[in-house]
Amino acid sequence: MVMRRTLATRLWHALRMTALVLVATIVLLPLYWLILSSFRPADHIFRHASTFSIETLVPFQLTLENYRNIWAGGFPRALFNSLFISFTTVVLGVLFNSMAGFAFAQFEFPFKKTLFAAVLLSFMMPFESIVIPLYTLMRGLGWTNTYAALILPEVAGGLVIFLFRQFFASIPREIYEAARIDGASWWRIYMHMTMPLSGPTIATASLMMFIHQWDAFFWPLVAASSADLAVVQVAIARNMTLEQANWGALFASASAAVLVALVPFLALQRYYIRVVTVQTDR
Amino acid sequence: MTTRWWVPFAFLAPALVGLFVFRFAPIVIALVGSLFATSIRGDTFFVGLKNYAEVFSDAAFWSSIRVTLLFNLIINPLQIFCALCLALLVRRPARFMDALRASFLLPMTVSIALTAILWNIMLDPTLGPVNGFLRWLGVAAQPFFRSGEQALGTLIMVATWKGAGYWMVFLLAGLLAIPKDVDEASAIDGAEPWNRFRYVTLPLMRRPLAFVLVADTAANFLLFAPVYIITNGGPNGATQLLMFEAYQAEFAYLNHGRSLAISSIILAIILVIALVELRLFRQQDGDA
Repeated sequence: MVMRRTLATRLWHALRMTALVLVATIVLLPLYWLILSSFRPADHIFRHASTFSIETLVPFQLTLENYRNIWAGGFPRALFNSLFISFTTVVLGVLFNSMAGFAFAQFEFPFKKTLFAAVLLSFMMPFESIVIPLYTLMRGLGWTNTYAALILPEVAGGLVIFLFRQFFASIPREIYEAARIDGASWWRIYMHMTMPLSGPTIATASLMMFIHQWDAFFWPLVAASSADLAVVQVAIARNMTLEQANWGALFASASAAVLVALVPFLALQRYYIRVVTVQTDR
Repeated sequence: MTTRWWVPFAFLAPALVGLFVFRFAPIVIALVGSLFATSIRGDTFFVGLKNYAEVFSDAAFWSSIRVTLLFNLIINPLQIFCALCLALLVRRPARFMDALRASFLLPMTVSIALTAILWNIMLDPTLGPVNGFLRWLGVAAQPFFRSGEQALGTLIMVATWKGAGYWMVFLLAGLLAIPKDVDEASAIDGAEPWNRFRYVTLPLMRRPLAFVLVADTAANFLLFAPVYIITNGGPNGATQLLMFEAYQAEFAYLNHGRSLAISSIILAIILVIALVELRLFRQQDGDA
């Protein structure tokens, strides 16, 4: 009986590890191939792709030429645009959304339930659904082809407000009482007591907003058609449709876009998993 | 010190103004704008429900609705199923488990546009390494995105490659929140693994599952980038998702009334989904 249990357990463990390694391979191999190919001479990229051999996965010749080429072209501008837009959105987004989350967690006020329902509704409503009327609005305001059009619509976000509210609601109100009696304003309390306690939630919200903006494609495609305002994702897609021959540049710019997103991901993912684990469970 | 009445609103104002201007005002713009048409000379005039009448009598629109619903009926359950399997597999700690968890989450850093570009190359019938590998295995090369029969299915697979690990985190969160003694008690009672999952784990997972269902549907319902980048709605309308239909009306055919009418229809469908999902959430709260 005991023997059988151990054997079954071992078998189950082996099966489980095989499945996990298989999935990990499917997830990682395309990314490995993408980044590896970006270091290959441009005319070598597909040489070992359509016929599978050891050289498909192990490079015999590496070069930085593709990266040198994109660095000399329009890519740095797109990189700057994307970074500028993403950072500005994160800074404004953390401030505004946490303020709203603070209000929902801390105060009683008229229409609180209705306003919170509106926040939840905005989170259930995919951004894409309002892209075309939003474009109409921006055109009416004369904001198309501006940074404002790319940044402002993404600052306020239902999910981020929700995350902050959930965390702030877990802070016992009593800790604010002494400060209130001493005459501290709510703004002071929010800035000097609440926010310093919120590191992991701020990290998670920042990662969410950064990746969301860094990945944005549909809205920038529509709202900013000028080449000066092209963001990384749009620039790469244009590179693919316009100059299909330039594979080296395509692989290098795509790899660069993945690697930039990887930095905040690796730095913040443990907070992300922790915060998501706690907050969505309430 | 009493709190003045306007203080909460001062905290709310920046974010709520943002939500109302950039999320809710466009809804009004879509609804109102869908009742107008633009002449060749650029004049705008009221046409009532004419844009809707045209959309509803258009076979291309109905085909697009059919494709969108089919896509969502497959991809959302599939992604949640994959995410749940992954979450169950990485639940118990083991060697390399942290690295495996992080690697499943890694496609989060690959945007949907880049996912489309990468897989479009990977699955290219002549150049792509996937077909190279299939030929090496002795399997015939597949057309993937180039065939009307395989295109939608391939799109679903590619989107799941990106999505499954992302949703896994939320479900893993739910699994880890299940008190250990609940699980152990049922194990000691001698319950079979399947029954333990079915009657102990799954009921405790209803809240995270509902959350993932809502968020996943919102993310997938209006998939745009892969259609724009890879298939252009083709072959033969096989991947003509609703959002691409609206995009084409606005930017390819310059038919502003039609694109806003389709946007309004999209918003109505989303409202129905959101209401159904909200009900689902509330029922769960009642149970908990």
